[in-house]
Amino acid sequence: MCARCFELSRRSLLVGSGATAAALSTGIADARILPKDMVPLVGPGYRPTEKDEQGIWQLMDRAEEEIAGSNLLMTDPKLTAYLKDLIGKVGGPAAGDFRIYLAHIPDFNAMMFPTGFAVVFSGLLLRMRNEAQLAGVIAHESGHFLRRHMIRSWRDQRRKTDIFAIAAMAAGVGGAAGGVYLGDYVQLAQLGTILSLFQYSREMEAEADAMGARLIADAGYEPVEMSNIWQQLIGEETASARYRRKRRRRGSLFDTHPSEGARMADLKADALEVKDPGRKYEVGRERYLATIGGIRPLLLDDQVKLNDPGASQYLIETLAQDGWNGLLRYYEGEVWRLRNRHGDDARAALSYASAVSYPDAPADAWRWHGISLMKAGRNAEAKSAFARYLTLKPDATDAAWVRQMIG
Amino acid sequence: MRKWGVALALAATVPVSACVQTRQYADLQFTPPQGDYKLLVLRPDVSVGSLTTGGIVEPRADWTEQARSNIIAALQTQQSGRGGKIQILERRSQLQGASEQEVADFERLFYAVGESIVIHKYLGEYLPTKRRQGLDWTLGEDAVSLGRKTGYDYALFLHAEDSVASGGRIALGVLGLAGCFVGFCAPNIGGATQLDYAGLVDLKTGEVVWFNVVRAGSEIPGIAFGDLRTPQGAAQMVERLLGRMKPGNAVRQAAEKKS
Repeated sequence: MCARCFELSRRSLLVGSGATAAALSTGIADARILPKDMVPLVGPGYRPTEKDEQGIWQLMDRAEEEIAGSNLLMTDPKLTAYLKDLIGKVGGPAAGDFRIYLAHIPDFNAMMFPTGFAVVFSGLLLRMRNEAQLAGVIAHESGHFLRRHMIRSWRDQRRKTDIFAIAAMAAGVGGAAGGVYLGDYVQLAQLGTILSLFQYSREMEAEADAMGARLIADAGYEPVEMSNIWQQLIGEETASARYRRKRRRRGSLFDTHPSEGARMADLKADALEVKDPGRKYEVGRERYLATIGGIRPLLLDDQVKLNDPGASQYLIETLAQDGWNGLLRYYEGEVWRLRNRHGDDARAALSYASAVSYPDAPADAWRWHGISLMKAGRNAEAKSAFARYLTLKPDATDAAWVRQMIG
Repeated sequence: MRKWGVALALAATVPVSACVQTRQYADLQFTPPQGDYKLLVLRPDVSVGSLTTGGIVEPRADWTEQARSNIIAALQTQQSGRGGKIQILERRSQLQGASEQEVADFERLFYAVGESIVIHKYLGEYLPTKRRQGLDWTLGEDAVSLGRKTGYDYALFLHAEDSVASGGRIALGVLGLAGCFVGFCAPNIGGATQLDYAGLVDLKTGEVVWFNVVRAGSEIPGIAFGDLRTPQGAAQMVERLLGRMKPGNAVRQAAEKKS
């Protein structure tokens, strides 16, 4: 074995010429993609006809079987019917073909698989303030399918790795024949190719945003809500970083998605373009809250246990822009109590006290209100709070202890 | 998904030269099933793809289907020679006495345990407390209750993945070989690779009693070794993976003492 083969196999992946061009074109400031150019590339009942796409579909069918039977899924029929209904409204020509699953994962995410099934994380339902926002995320995911992004990016990746392999080999063989060493160029080309793969991915995200804005406007939702989602996400990340005394991460050449700031700005411009003058666009806040209201305590509970007080506090305050209530105040108290820095117990006590002044205060708000009062030496008031807790939750696991506290 | 994790981890350790490697582990008390036993084969997890010029594997639906039916046929032939009764599940819903969800849970549990076996037996993270213990893993009560409900003695899991070098990849290898004449010799860019593993679970005790991994790879594109798309290739794979099932160490030592 010769030493130089090893050199090549280590560097072996991707192409010579155009490396610099690729590197230059991967700047963060990509041109905005216009919603009017976003025409769906698939119709109803789409099935792949080419070998490479069929191969991916077969793999994905197995993946869907796994996901559909996963014990991480939330199967509440009301919620799943709601999501199915939404993707039916904003799914464009493939609306009837999509499947959508709700996974119990407290994170901001949703994804579309190449065969047309989407997975929405429960953390998304916590963060969305209205139906238009949720529809916007779902429409973005539908956009990936309608624009055939997975197979396009797969082919792009295959083409680029092919060209690089050939060019790297040609550079080696040609260079050896001509007596020059081209290894440095090969390395530069490799970086160029990798960067251009990421750029292709960002362009597709931008396409899906533009397509999504168009889809939700067609369905009668206020398209500017899609832009608001990014504003909320930037706020959340900034708040989370501030608590950890770090700065929010900035965009880099290796990002697979465009920066949130760029997406927010582009979507704002998109919103103006996709709206028909005179038509009314709704945000659907009441319907949204009525549907997810039942699981909001669970979503908030998941969030506060992530030990990310900055983000949790920001999220609660954002939701409270639509009005404070007992549930939000209670979880505000939980954020402080679990953070447990100096003075946080007093902050938490204030939140619990505020929570119980609302009619929708959860039973646990009364419990913690009682404990806070007892710590402050206000025993009589604490006892009545405990009594209230027991009325609301007679079979609480700690009922015996609480009864003893009341004395 | 766990099982892809196992596959990836194993694929990363395919040796540099063109060769076929197998390494099996068994429970100390393991005796390969013989005679009148009932074996359940969980849906074989097969994928066959094409290795592109650039070196990525492109899944192929038609080849995968072909390979799966070849493997199932080869399994039938091989196991009937051992005297056991065998059922091969093609779908999770086909098992009488257990629901689709139970089968799915059982499969996932196996792949989770299998991942642990691969990490601690094959990838070098050896556990000091498990030295000389053979294979000491179990799927627990769930496996026992599945065996009770369905009447099977053993369950076999099988994973096979194969990639076939495309025309472009072979051409690239030829170019690399041609380069040898001018002093840039790179024929060994990596060709087809095959990775198979199988695990046998005793449904009476729930223990994973036997585990085997076959890795085959050629550094030079165009050199093939048992193409799963052909019945011969599939039969060769099944033979390599399951043909020489060795008894556990304790059983072997006892046999040696006797003789």
